[in-house]
Formats: sequence, C-alpha cells, structure tokens
Amino acid sequence: MQQLIDFILRKKDVVVYFVLLSLSLSLIFNSNYFHKSKFIIFSNGITNYTNEVFENINWYFQLKKINSSLVEENLILKNQLEKFIEKNSIDSLENVAFQYHNAKVISNNLSSIKNNLVINKGIKHGLKNEMGVISSTGIIGIINRTSKNYSSVMSVLNTESKINAKVKRTSHFGTLEWNGLSNRELLLNDIPETADIKIGDSIITGGMSLIFPEGINIGVVSEIMKKEKFNDTVMKFHISNQVKIANIEFRENYLNIEVKLHTDMNNLNNVYVIESLNKNEFENIKK
Amino acid sequence: MTNIYLLIFKRFIFLVLTQVMIFNKFDFFGIYDPYICLVFILTYPVKLSKISFMMTAFAFGLTLDLFSNSLGLNTVACLTVAFLRSYIMSFVFGGFFDPRGLKLIKNYISDSSFSQKFLYLTSVILIHHFILFSLEAFSLKYISTVIYKTLITALLSGIFCTTLIYIMIENEK
Repeated sequence: MQQLIDFILRKKDVVVYFVLLSLSLSLIFNSNYFHKSKFIIFSNGITNYTNEVFENINWYFQLKKINSSLVEENLILKNQLEKFIEKNSIDSLENVAFQYHNAKVISNNLSSIKNNLVINKGIKHGLKNEMGVISSTGIIGIINRTSKNYSSVMSVLNTESKINAKVKRTSHFGTLEWNGLSNRELLLNDIPETADIKIGDSIITGGMSLIFPEGINIGVVSEIMKKEKFNDTVMKFHISNQVKIANIEFRENYLNIEVKLHTDMNNLNNVYVIESLNKNEFENIKK
Repeated sequence: MTNIYLLIFKRFIFLVLTQVMIFNKFDFFGIYDPYICLVFILTYPVKLSKISFMMTAFAFGLTLDLFSNSLGLNTVACLTVAFLRSYIMSFVFGGFFDPRGLKLIKNYISDSSFSQKFLYLTSVILIHHFILFSLEAFSLKYISTVIYKTLITALLSGIFCTTLIYIMIENEK
C-alpha cells in the first residue's frame, strides 16, 4: 500500500493528466452525438462478435430441435405452394412485393421494458432500418438500427413498438402494443366496441404499412377486458389483475383486447427479414 | 508572484477572445482556421508546476470548446500538449532547458538558435492540430484528410503564433 502511494506521488503528473483526459473524453462522448454513436458501434461490434461465437457453440447442441422445426415449416410451405399450383394462375416473377432474407438471432433480451435483439446480418447483406422480422411461427419485431454486419431489432416486446394488426375473422384493424408485463401477451387497441370479437379469434398482420405483408400470424385473442368486469369485487382481490388495471388506460368506446403470441420469444433461432420491394413507391404516393 | 498570475489571467482572456471572435471566423480557403490560442501554451511560464499548468490548459481548452460548440475536442488537445510540453522542451533545448524555471520564455527565444525555436513551435502546433483533427474526424477512413488539414493549418498557425509572440516580447521591453 505504501509503495502504491509512493508510486502515485512520484507519477502525480501522469495521474492528473489521465484524470483530466478521461474527464474531457467523457465530455466528448456525452455531448457529441456523432462520437457517441461511433463509440457505441465500436463497442457493440466487440460484444456482438463474442455473442456470435458463444451462440455458434450453443447452436450445435440445438441442431436436432432446429432441424425438426425447419422440417415442420417446410411442410407448411409445401402445402401452401400446392394450393397455388392447383390454381395455376400465378407467375412467380411478377407481382412479387416482398423478399425474404434469413438471419440468426445472436443476442436476445426479454428482461427490459424496451427489449431489443440482435441478428447476424447487416448493411452488407442489404438490410435497412424499418424492415420487418418474423420467425416461422409469427412476428418478432422491426429493425431499428443497422451496422455493417449486425442489426438491432426492436422486439414486439418493446413498449415503443406499434404494429398494425387485424382480426382475421372480422377484418377490424387495430394497433398492437405491449404493456411491459408478460412476455406472451400483447394488447390490441383501437378496435371499436361494436366489433364482434370473441376469445380465440386469430390476429394477423394488417399489411397497412408495408413493413409486414398481410396475413402473417401473430396470435389469438385470449381475453377481452371490459370495464365492468374490473369493477367486480372478486377480480379486485386477484393481484395480477390489479397490476393489469393499473397499467391499462381505458378509453371510451374501444375494446381492450389481450392477444396471446404464437411465438415463444424466449426461444428464437432462425428468423426471416422481410424486405418490401414496393416501399419507396408506396411512401411517395402517401405524401 | 501575484504579477505572474495576473499576466496569465490576462493572456487567458485575451487569447480566448481573439481566437473565438476573430480567428475562428477566418476561414482561409474556406475551411482553415489558424489556432492562435496555442500562444497561451507556448508561452506559459516554465517555473509554475506542471499540475497547475495542466489544470489551466484544461480550463483554457474547455472555455474554447464552450464558445466553439465542440465540447471536449479542444480540451483534449490543449491538455495533451500541456502534458507533453516539458518533454518537448527538454528534447528541443537539451541542456539549455532547466525544469526549475529560472529562465523565462523570453530567454529561450532570444538565446536559442533558429532551428530550436522552429522545432519547438512546429512540434507543439503539429501535435495539437493532429489530436484536434483526428478526434474531430474520429475515423481511420479520413486519416489522409486529417494529415493534410493538420499540415495546412499548422502552417497558418505557425505564422500567426510567431508574429504574436514577437509582438508580445517587443511590448514587454
């Protein structure tokens, strides 16, 4: 200890220099947006690389499970293709509005209130911001930041994410949001009270924003919450329901629908990134 | 002793104001600004302790940054030059340099050869500019631009700093 103090006293110039230097560097990184983002990209590059290495090892042990899920998906796709071949009226090269890229999830986070996950494809592979990401069972999120080799995806389990969705049976459009409580349940808002929605109805993507094509599965209606039901004294004793009441703002004349996701967000491997080929055209006409 | 602090304070205010009000808007060939503020570091009295020198240089750079809206960049550059100045001086002036500071900056200028003065001035200016511009660009992609800009700006700063230092010495006489 004595030696350490002696050492510091002998080198006090250098110590003072480095203290002041770190102070000014922190000023640079905190106040200049460009430097901050550069720093974040650099440090993310390192962490993403290590994550990828670990995930590659992990993958080897899951190969069997992944294989079976891929076979399952193949089967579904083949069945769908069969239907089209029977109709015999589709030219596959024309009217293609969406293109799919495959990617692997290398880091996934569920504990935060603003969850993001990272996939192993980036600008180099043609990915851009605001592309949709789905898995074989349902939607996952939207890309919100891309670097050269990696992209960060804003998960549907993010309180900032808003996704256009509709009820398959009645075609009512709504907005899918998350209240930060459960990683299997989302809320479907903006559906009028007059709509005849039942528990068990499927929810699919609405296709209004061209991020996701229409008709991708999201989940099923698990609960329709009504205000009167919450006033029920029996319900009030249930703690989890109390939390729900606190987190939901009731709007007059709208239904509060709880949607159970098909996708298990805990267990993601292969995902598909959707590139919309007509997006520029669509944005231009919207202006 | 109070006299010297007053002198430093006066230089501080004068150089920050001239740099910010006049020289930051100079724009030679569109983009090059001479950094006259380096006179403060070049002529800082040798006899004051190194720690106080670094503290003052830190405050000096921070004030420049506050005015030129680039928080931190000038601070790092000024601080590093202040830290390196004693090494540069002992390297350039050799045995002539005394770290206890009995000699004044005036003596260094009048009693040394041209090449020593030139080397001292250019090394301080080049180090300062290189740190400043490379931090500003913050990417290896622009390294050639950074070097090019450093050299051109160093030439301008060198001319202006030398002029100002000679004016200061003439006034003191």
